Amino acid sequence: MAGDGYQGKVLRVDLTNEKITTEPLNREWAKEFIGGKGLGARYLFEELKPGTDPMSPENILSIWTGPLVGTMTPLTGRYVIVSKSPLTGTFLDSYAGGFFGSELKFAGFDGVIIKGKAKKWSYLWIKDGKAEIRDAKNLMGKDTFATEEMIRKETGEKFARVACIGQAGEKLGLISSVTSDLTRNAGRGGTGAIFGSKNLKAVAVKGNLGVEVKDIDSFTKMAKEMVLKDVVENPDHAGMITDGTPILVQMSQDAGILPTKNWRTGTFEGTEGINSEALKSRVLVGKKACFDCSIACGSLAKVKLGAFKGAWTEGPEYETLGLCGSNCGIKNIEAVVKYVEDCDRLGLDSISAGNVTALAMDLYERGVLTKKDTGGLDLRFGNEEAYAKMPEMIANRRAIGDVLADGAKRAAKKIGKGAEKLTVEVKGLEYPAYDPRGTIGMALAYATSDRGACHLRAWPVAADAYGSQDPWNPEGKAAICVEDQTRTSVKWSFIFCDFYSVNFPNMAKYYSAVTGVDSSEEHLRQVGRRIWNLTRSFNAREGFTKKDDTLPERMEKEPLPDGKPKGKAVPKADFERMLAEYYKLWNWDEQGRPTKKSLQDAGLEDIIAKLPFLK
Amino acid sequence: MANGLKADLSKCTGCQLCALVCSATHTGKFNPSESRIEVQDLFPEPGEFKLNFCKQCDEHPCVESCPVEAIKLNEGLGIYYVDKELCTACGACVEACPYNGCWLDPSGSYSIKCDLCGGTPQCVEVCPKKVLKR
Repeated sequence: MAGDGYQGKVLRVDLTNEKITTEPLNREWAKEFIGGKGLGARYLFEELKPGTDPMSPENILSIWTGPLVGTMTPLTGRYVIVSKSPLTGTFLDSYAGGFFGSELKFAGFDGVIIKGKAKKWSYLWIKDGKAEIRDAKNLMGKDTFATEEMIRKETGEKFARVACIGQAGEKLGLISSVTSDLTRNAGRGGTGAIFGSKNLKAVAVKGNLGVEVKDIDSFTKMAKEMVLKDVVENPDHAGMITDGTPILVQMSQDAGILPTKNWRTGTFEGTEGINSEALKSRVLVGKKACFDCSIACGSLAKVKLGAFKGAWTEGPEYETLGLCGSNCGIKNIEAVVKYVEDCDRLGLDSISAGNVTALAMDLYERGVLTKKDTGGLDLRFGNEEAYAKMPEMIANRRAIGDVLADGAKRAAKKIGKGAEKLTVEVKGLEYPAYDPRGTIGMALAYATSDRGACHLRAWPVAADAYGSQDPWNPEGKAAICVEDQTRTSVKWSFIFCDFYSVNFPNMAKYYSAVTGVDSSEEHLRQVGRRIWNLTRSFNAREGFTKKDDTLPERMEKEPLPDGKPKGKAVPKADFERMLAEYYKLWNWDEQGRPTKKSLQDAGLEDIIAKLPFLK
Repeated sequence: MANGLKADLSKCTGCQLCALVCSATHTGKFNPSESRIEVQDLFPEPGEFKLNFCKQCDEHPCVESCPVEAIKLNEGLGIYYVDKELCTACGACVEACPYNGCWLDPSGSYSIKCDLCGGTPQCVEVCPKKVLKR
């Protein structure tokens, strides 16, 4: 038996006309864009009419795996949702681990493309090469945990994997997520609202078909060696194996970049209560892995005492501890566990939810919001009782939760009275938990990310604030972003987990062994440049230019008051310099739009005619 | 039970690498559904993972239950295995096993259970958390 990692099939679902078809995978695109991010971006660019309202039936919701997903290639049990984001209006790729991605592959599909809007609330059931649209009436108003359990009962498949929305997605909140395997989220960019806009409660899947590779014996032998040598024994992974992402809390505190009290400072007086030591000594129950992962960074955490006794989650992860912890002035990890359990159940992106909760707390302390707005809650920073009620209020759009449900940018505009000056976002996507005033390259990484402020495209913080380089020197930061964005474009197309420190030669090695395609570091770098030019082209076609690659005003005008970066901000001139250098390195025009040359060099000649700004 | 696999469940993180390598070894593709070891990872809340596999127990009720004597002794390893050719997929062994150690292949054409990969169990070699032992 021999295959090439791909299933060779794409499932197409037209919810409006209740039509389901299976078509062959576009093999040419698979070769040029691999899978995941790249392949999803190519289909979306081709099929989505520019200017489409992301919440309309015309938007495309697609779910992709990659050629390595389901094989023994370490840390590739993932899927990505590719669409146009209703939160940012940009290209959107949102990833989750767990077990859904590999299950979709085992069910016989490389990807699923969903269009239209169901007449009534429905869910999609996929099993072994077949699919059907089912009535979701009984699932409505149910949280993601209950939805998963009910679908398993209804389908009679004990091990069905479910990606679904909670109340937040049902109510079309633009910071809602898609939750799978209870605690894994395709979190960012409003994936939940896209499901909701299509009357789609869930996609559930069970697969028994397996995945075939070019030569099973030699591949398995190689994969076994790599699991041991390149993952388990790789020193880059030591902290992820012992602690997981919470190890970053103390590192960020020491570097002075831990978002605190709605980005007022980068050091938090309560760090001891939310760092990795707190997690391990107070709430950790055991470790949990995603499919095919030998790291197992997930911390099963359960609250043993106090007001939140019984609350549990897998995590909380660093981003959650930063945005929902220090950024809300929360000093006890038990409260964060409760908050994030609710985010998972309700289907909320914890990065955005933490940001909007902190914004509301800031506005409450400034007197802009009062108890009349908060539904009676005393929403001071650090008030755990009020804080713990926020996910439910945001998801169900109660009181102030109604405006917060659509993200910080829209909320601030509605609230007014200076609230706009307090938000920290790019293109409408709230900042993740690294304050660029103590790691200047992150300002560029956030500004130029293809889905709005994101830490998973480029991560200069590793080399400076967490490393040995000068975190305030703009020199060389553009080059780091270009390099990281090229590499992550490839990594998210296979789809590797962020936490596998896999280099280009090893990615090429896995790719060749699974598919038989002749690959190399340079070959994959070219694929990466192609994908990053493609998503930039998508955004440029939607009208995004330099004016949207922004630095939030506070990062420029409000120096950090304490910690290592005391007195530091991001000088506008430095930001502009990095941005100009960055465009130049990509061979884009002064407005940050791809040029004929950059597209030709990246092997994207065929999209030039589809970009009005190149005419 | 001296000859079967042993598992220290307190170390298991549910990654399914055991099931992946098992299916590759026995079926030539990656397909946990066809694996001889099943990882139960369904959480209402945090708890231990459960692994289902043949313990090679001393009582071996599966052997006695089989109407066609398809479960045979591998004398070299001291373990019982299913002879695929003889098995009629009647499911008697599945019923008889108190440990959920064997089940029908997804195609429904024969019963499957751990055969220690002929002496070098691949799951033991690959398990990153050293849960499984011979």
